[in-house]
Amino acid sequence: MTPEILYALRDPAGVPTHPWLFLILGALTLALHMAAVQVMLGTGLLTLRGAYSKNPYWRRLAAHMLITAKIAVSVAIVIGVAPLLFVQVVYDPFWYTSNVLSAWWVIGFILILIAGYIALYVFYWKNHHLETEGGRSGHWLVLSLALLLGVGYIVHALTNQMLFPEEWLAWYAPDGIIQPDGQRLHYAYPLRFGFFIALSLPVTGAWLLGYRRFQQGRADADPVYIAWLKPLALGLLVVGGLLAVVLGALWMLTLPEKMAWFAASPWVYVALGALLITVALPLALGRTLDQGYWGYATFGLGAVALIVVCAVREVLRYFTLTGSHGYDALDYSVHMDWYSLVLFLLTFAVLGGVTLGYMLTVAWQAGQTVGRYSPSPALSRLGSLSIGLLVLWTLAYFGIGFYVWAN
Amino acid sequence: MEFLGLYPTWYEPGVGSGWIVGIISTVHVLFSHTAVGAAIFFAFLANYAHRHDRPDLLEFIRRYGLFLLVFSYVLGSITGPGIWYSTTVASPRGISALIHNFVWMWATEWVFFIIEVVGVYMLVYLANRVDRQTHLKLSVIFGLTSYTTMLVIVGILSFMMWPGKADWYTETGVLHGFYGPNTFAQLAMRTAFMFTMTAVVGGIVAARFPDPAFKKDVARKLAWLGIGSAIAGVLVFRWYLTTLPDTALLVMHNRLPDWFPVGVMGMLAAVGVYFLATLIQPRLLVASGAAAMTLVVLVFGLWPGEVARESIRKPWVAGQYVYSNQVIGRDVPGRGIQSEIPLIEERGFLQTLVFLPEALRQVTPDNAVEAGRVLALTTCSNCHSLSPTGMRPLRDYFPADVDQDAIVDYLHAGLASGNTLYMPQIPFTDDEAFALASYLATLSGPDAGAAPRTAWQADAPSDLQANQAPVPTLAASAAREMNP
Repeated sequence: MTPEILYALRDPAGVPTHPWLFLILGALTLALHMAAVQVMLGTGLLTLRGAYSKNPYWRRLAAHMLITAKIAVSVAIVIGVAPLLFVQVVYDPFWYTSNVLSAWWVIGFILILIAGYIALYVFYWKNHHLETEGGRSGHWLVLSLALLLGVGYIVHALTNQMLFPEEWLAWYAPDGIIQPDGQRLHYAYPLRFGFFIALSLPVTGAWLLGYRRFQQGRADADPVYIAWLKPLALGLLVVGGLLAVVLGALWMLTLPEKMAWFAASPWVYVALGALLITVALPLALGRTLDQGYWGYATFGLGAVALIVVCAVREVLRYFTLTGSHGYDALDYSVHMDWYSLVLFLLTFAVLGGVTLGYMLTVAWQAGQTVGRYSPSPALSRLGSLSIGLLVLWTLAYFGIGFYVWAN
Repeated sequence: MEFLGLYPTWYEPGVGSGWIVGIISTVHVLFSHTAVGAAIFFAFLANYAHRHDRPDLLEFIRRYGLFLLVFSYVLGSITGPGIWYSTTVASPRGISALIHNFVWMWATEWVFFIIEVVGVYMLVYLANRVDRQTHLKLSVIFGLTSYTTMLVIVGILSFMMWPGKADWYTETGVLHGFYGPNTFAQLAMRTAFMFTMTAVVGGIVAARFPDPAFKKDVARKLAWLGIGSAIAGVLVFRWYLTTLPDTALLVMHNRLPDWFPVGVMGMLAAVGVYFLATLIQPRLLVASGAAAMTLVVLVFGLWPGEVARESIRKPWVAGQYVYSNQVIGRDVPGRGIQSEIPLIEERGFLQTLVFLPEALRQVTPDNAVEAGRVLALTTCSNCHSLSPTGMRPLRDYFPADVDQDAIVDYLHAGLASGNTLYMPQIPFTDDEAFALASYLATLSGPDAGAAPRTAWQADAPSDLQANQAPVPTLAASAAREMNP
């Protein structure tokens, strides 16, 4: 595929804002999506490990992690919409071609995800008393994790196929005969997939440290349980972190020829440094980990490290397509649309910030409260403000809409 | 060298890619409308419960919340992106056009999705753990947020039919594409339907309440909601019809299956009778009956509705500038978009397609059938199956004894001119017409008699014929499309 052909595939409508904003938002939201995916996988594994243990702490952990995993699937799906949106804006020739060439897998993604999600719920329904009675019907959880890994693998393959335009025609028309059935996944890279999946271990370790800090804040905190959590969390963080780094190194060492330059680039060391600092933080903190809000710091830093990893991944894609294929994702024609951009930014930063701030604070504080929770007056006012902003947004929608219609 | 930026084609010979999108869309609409309607009903009930000190209603909310979470959010949150995924592979340039015009509107909707998901979990898991006032606030936030997701998506769906303002083609701002009479009419229609779904699905939970007095109270509330919203739905549908382009009305009157209006009217009558019965005699509200009504609405209401919405915008799929076969058929000067028809007229498909083996660039007697197959895949298969099954099979339009020259005549006349209702303008070169005709002739082989032939034998209404160019008999017959 020549650059001329790749540009011919590009949507002629251009983009409503400079493409760099989509690249940045794509990397940011992908990192958040990956964090949710990795928490989902890690907490799912912990549930499986703990549900059948005779140790009451493992079972308590399993019960809590099951709820976490269930919510994490929803969060992963909803956050995943954003990077899916942005990749189509600036990499449309690559994303659409890759998807069409494996169309049945794209449809299968939906069906497998539904099956995986329902399997998780079935396990949940069968285990309402997990902590006291132990786990039952674990095959549903195993099935769910396998299916969820399966959908991850599909997206991994689709994302990889984007990077090989030189193969597209051969995949579409093997031996010169067009086969439009979309039944095959054409290119996967197990080491790359393994790296991102292995990251679920340190991410879950960091999550457990946050969970541990959350438990410390409860009036009925169980210090023995909290102490029991610490080595488990640190073990996941350190061992899992090293495993991910090893897999990442193997991926870098075996990169396809056209990407081999990347392995020795500073970008790799930036990502490596971010991951290692995250792993090292709780070890360096020592006893400080149990003071103030430091218990949450590792997950916070881990989220930053994931953003760095996803940004570096974007660098690999951008320069591979620019360098090897002459396609620059930043040179779309820009037809600035200030209305929709400002609407998004205000909705995201103001309405979303206030409303999610209110809701998550309530959830956090209510989770730490024994008995019925009542927020402070200031927090309640934030709730009222959220409702006011939603009403205002709705009124603006109709007000602006009727004005445009009337004119 | 100038290329036509068409993607590879995904062809599904069993039912057709279009129906796969349709099935996913229909399922999603069921879940999403139920979710949005239930969220608002949720907020109303929470308000009522707190004002009238009715903890039993809060219990209903808790149970309804659990059901809502499973029924709507689990499946709705997946089938929503599912529509994206399926249209990505079935109509990549159609979805691309929407995304490149409305990316920030979709991103805005995404913010509401996140609030919605956080909200539904909080309402369920914190139902008995936060004070009344906080629960009420969460309910109201959830209800309002759910509705805002509909507000956003309706503007984009409306653009799929046609831009809100006629000057969008030159102005091209989101406001001009997003807002128009069709937007508000469609919003009103979907809002009414959303409440009908809320009343129907809510009955599945309400039927399980052991307290007869409480069940009676809730059943009546749901019945009134159902009756009111169904009547409102009928009224706003008439308004919606007035906001459609003339071509859409023509297609609606002439191309949709005969059973659609009967099915929809029957569904409305069934809904009316059902709600009247549960209003007069609330003990008739049973879970199996409510579940059956959900199925009736799905099969006789949603499916025809979604098929009709898809059909009446043909031959376009986005903004009346992207054809159903993915070719850009109209200039949009405001965005620098040029129709691809002149390029195709000048150089043809085979010289400009990106995803084409080099051996097919020139038509020869040896490769004519294969070149024709590729042309059929590229230009026809989005709407017409190449196999005997699926959507509007191509072979049903051409009799077994048709001669190839007649097909060529039709391709040059009816299709090249763009004057056939419901069909894109498809100008083939002479070689391409010969190749496609060679391929089409193979579809009407000895076993073709098994396929139904009702389409080309049917009488076309005179108003349609008036819209068509004077083409040979075969062409006129073929132009009368078979109903989906």
